[in-house]
Amino acid sequence: MDQPGLNIHDDLIARCRTGDRDAHYRLYKLYSKAMFNVGYRITKSEEDAEDVLQEAFISAFRNLDNYRGDATFGAWLKRIVVNKAINALNKRKHELIPDVEQWDVAEEDSVTEYREDLTVERVKKAIEKLPDGYRTVLSLYLLEGYDHQEIGEIMGISESTSKSQLNRAKARLKEILDV
Amino acid sequence: MKDHLDDFIGKNRASFDDREPSDKVWKNIEASMNFGSRGWWNSVILWRAAAVVFMALSIYLMIPRQVPKPEDLSASEFNDVEAFYFQEISEKVELIDGFQRNEGLNGFTQDFKQLEAMYEILKEEMKARPSQKVKDALVLNLLVRINLLNQQLSKLDKEDGEKSDDEV
Repeated sequence: MDQPGLNIHDDLIARCRTGDRDAHYRLYKLYSKAMFNVGYRITKSEEDAEDVLQEAFISAFRNLDNYRGDATFGAWLKRIVVNKAINALNKRKHELIPDVEQWDVAEEDSVTEYREDLTVERVKKAIEKLPDGYRTVLSLYLLEGYDHQEIGEIMGISESTSKSQLNRAKARLKEILDV
Repeated sequence: MKDHLDDFIGKNRASFDDREPSDKVWKNIEASMNFGSRGWWNSVILWRAAAVVFMALSIYLMIPRQVPKPEDLSASEFNDVEAFYFQEISEKVELIDGFQRNEGLNGFTQDFKQLEAMYEILKEEMKARPSQKVKDALVLNLLVRINLLNQQLSKLDKEDGEKSDDEV
């Protein structure tokens, strides 16, 4: 998902399994920044994102024997980070998707035009202004590369709810960007 | 709805990962992992290697050589030792079965089954040509099995804790 090739870090992972501290550090340096940003986008808190990053790496390192290489190490680790970030978010809020918002929203066929040109900084700030549920679905879909079925599994919602939440999130994002 | 936003984010994906975690995250991970104190005694790999060496040693012991003269083997003493270790092993096996009831054969199970089979062969050898060496090999087999079980139990215990953490 976020690293080319499936087993490019096989040697490093094998060294980690023997308890090699340096190999653990190298693996951490390779993935920590990307994973920290994954956690931040969901929790919207640097403090929570650091806790998530720490717990996720400890969990991954202790369970390296369970990593079978079916997915890239990055994809495996990212799933741990996402789960822990959503747990952290759920601890702060009671529910990520309010019941009243679980209705389907028709997909828009027309191409969405934005009043001003998009910049990374503007889009990032606008995403941060989204409510937790919208922000999480939009980040998982557009930035982390999960499909709606995977988002449904991760967040415990249906595939159609994930789709409608994404549509709502995009509509809200457009409102924020066009202000 | 594939729109301008999807394309924009796709083209600029790397720029969205601009935040850096502080150094304390690695320090905390390092402290939790306890890299320095991971002793050889706690290494699953080493214990599995020990099991393999032990099996090779058992095979060597069973290669027929000259029949040893009967030694003074205290049969009742050995039976006591065997009963004690059998009890420990069966308790640990029950615990492990409880953990991994739905999982198939893994490396640990295969090692363990081989050690069990080797034990039966050594017992036959003990009956046919009793010697101190075979008796030692039998006790060692039991000890290696107990250590494998201990390693597996602590691993499963840890995984069980992690699993409940990871579930959303």
